[in-house]
Amino acid sequence: MGRTETALRKIFSHIAQIAVVLVGITFITFSIMYISPKNPAEIWLAGIDGNVGMISEEAIREQEKIMGLDKPFIVQYGNWINSAIHGDLGTSYTTRRAVTTELIERMAPTAKMTFISLAITAAVSIPLGILCAVYKDRLLDNVLRIFSFFGISMPSFVLSILFLWFFCIKLKWFTVIAADGMRGLVLPIAVLVIQCASKMVRQVRAIVLEQLEQPYVEGAIARGVGYKRILFSHVLKNSAAPILTCISIYVGVFLGGSAIIEGIFSVNGIGSLAVSAVSRMDYNLIQGFVLWCALVYLIVNLAVDILSAIIDPRIKYERR
Amino acid sequence: MKKNNNLGFKIITAFVLALLIIAVLAPIIAPNDPNETNIMMAQVGPCAEYPLGTDHLGRCMLSRIIYGARTSIFAGLAITLIVFSLGTLIGVVSGYFGGAVDVVLTKLITIMQAFPKIILAIAVAGMMGLGIRNLIIALCLVEWVEYARLARSFTFTAKQHNYIRAARVCGESHIRIIVRRIIPNIIQPLIVNASLGIASIIMEIAALSYLGVGVGESIPEWGAMINAGKGYIQTDVRLVFIPAAAIFITAAIFNLFGEKLRDKISG
Repeated sequence: MGRTETALRKIFSHIAQIAVVLVGITFITFSIMYISPKNPAEIWLAGIDGNVGMISEEAIREQEKIMGLDKPFIVQYGNWINSAIHGDLGTSYTTRRAVTTELIERMAPTAKMTFISLAITAAVSIPLGILCAVYKDRLLDNVLRIFSFFGISMPSFVLSILFLWFFCIKLKWFTVIAADGMRGLVLPIAVLVIQCASKMVRQVRAIVLEQLEQPYVEGAIARGVGYKRILFSHVLKNSAAPILTCISIYVGVFLGGSAIIEGIFSVNGIGSLAVSAVSRMDYNLIQGFVLWCALVYLIVNLAVDILSAIIDPRIKYERR
Repeated sequence: MKKNNNLGFKIITAFVLALLIIAVLAPIIAPNDPNETNIMMAQVGPCAEYPLGTDHLGRCMLSRIIYGARTSIFAGLAITLIVFSLGTLIGVVSGYFGGAVDVVLTKLITIMQAFPKIILAIAVAGMMGLGIRNLIIALCLVEWVEYARLARSFTFTAKQHNYIRAARVCGESHIRIIVRRIIPNIIQPLIVNASLGIASIIMEIAALSYLGVGVGESIPEWGAMINAGKGYIQTDVRLVFIPAAAIFITAAIFNLFGEKLRDKISG
């Protein structure tokens, strides 16, 4: 059997796996919303006033018909899948606009935040993590240990509110209602970087330390290979793939929107959209958001698998 | 070095016990009723009657923090215990039996990992309504996955050992092998992982309460206190600082406990 054939087969099985996960995840989401006691038709009619008691039973039935909620569960889900395959995720119950338009519009600030915070986090954490591993238990390692300890013990929403108070109210460097454009993103990005860097420094340190303790390092030292050379051309090369995996986890988490942080800093991103969609039981919008998160997660995973195999040929390209 | 480490572990264990005692004895320790409002005494600073002052409704901050410890710590420990047991069980079954069971369970694990966790928790908690029981269910539904994944991979490795095959050849039942041979061999790192996870679960409880899908108005809770205090952040930041400090200190203590436990077990 040729090598291309095996590779192709693997890619196909990977795509099949992605399809299974996407169907599974949308099915679970649909089920949760279906068994929920809240009626989206009622919420839609109540509008922002929330005067639920005032709405007649007929009006609710009528609205259910418009939304397709009178059909059995499987039919509703089938209809949704069918149009999703054709690229139509339905219309939002609350804004009456296409879900895809809503998601794309809200994507921009979240995507900007994600890539900037990730770039900064990686640029800070990777060198610091390596230094901590090389100078294990020395001053820098101990200082950074305390910093990351603070980072992991402080929930992001608490840190966000403290930042809001300190930078917007005390120092008045920023407005409380975030400005449009980059200025409004400075504080949320700072929170994301602190949160994520305090974890990543430790993770990078652990990965590099694991390599440093391998017998090949001892062998190289015994053979008289210089420490710098061992570090740069062996240890770091071997650490690259696991570090990549570690970064990829954050891509998924961030692109899904840091719902609470976006809310606090009034960033009009996809995370705050999702929170409001959940509270209004906007089925189609929630479904679209969950689908988006799952897609990002799966694609990033696939990309990391392929990239790792390129960086380190010993890693076989396999499904996990 | 070793001795030093042991002392550190003892100190941090004492702190954890102190937190537990505060949580258990909340009604005795708290100086005032945490829910008693007194509009005349709203937002007064620290004084003899109210050691940490009062909130916007004149409720004693210290008493609310102490009762809040009860909510966070009890719910946090309950959730950790449930997801640890459930996740380990699912992971061990999946890893031990393999085959179709494993395929289905790993697919389920992948699906759960691809879910936006906090949104799923908000959806479930919001759907079932407020209350501590519903909050625990919502967080358990999203938190078991990591434990199952770990337990599965450990079981997979443990299963390869010859003593497992020997036990099988000697006619030991699957259940006996799982309970007597597999679980004792993989449980230590899982316990360490669970103890490191307590803090993040306590922080998630606070986050959900902050968003208003937590335990409800009648029970004092730190995240909900921050949400209420946020409205007064311009004038009296104390209302945010105090619960924020409570969350941070509790999370730090549990995180340190987890780290020391890990160092102790891994030597």
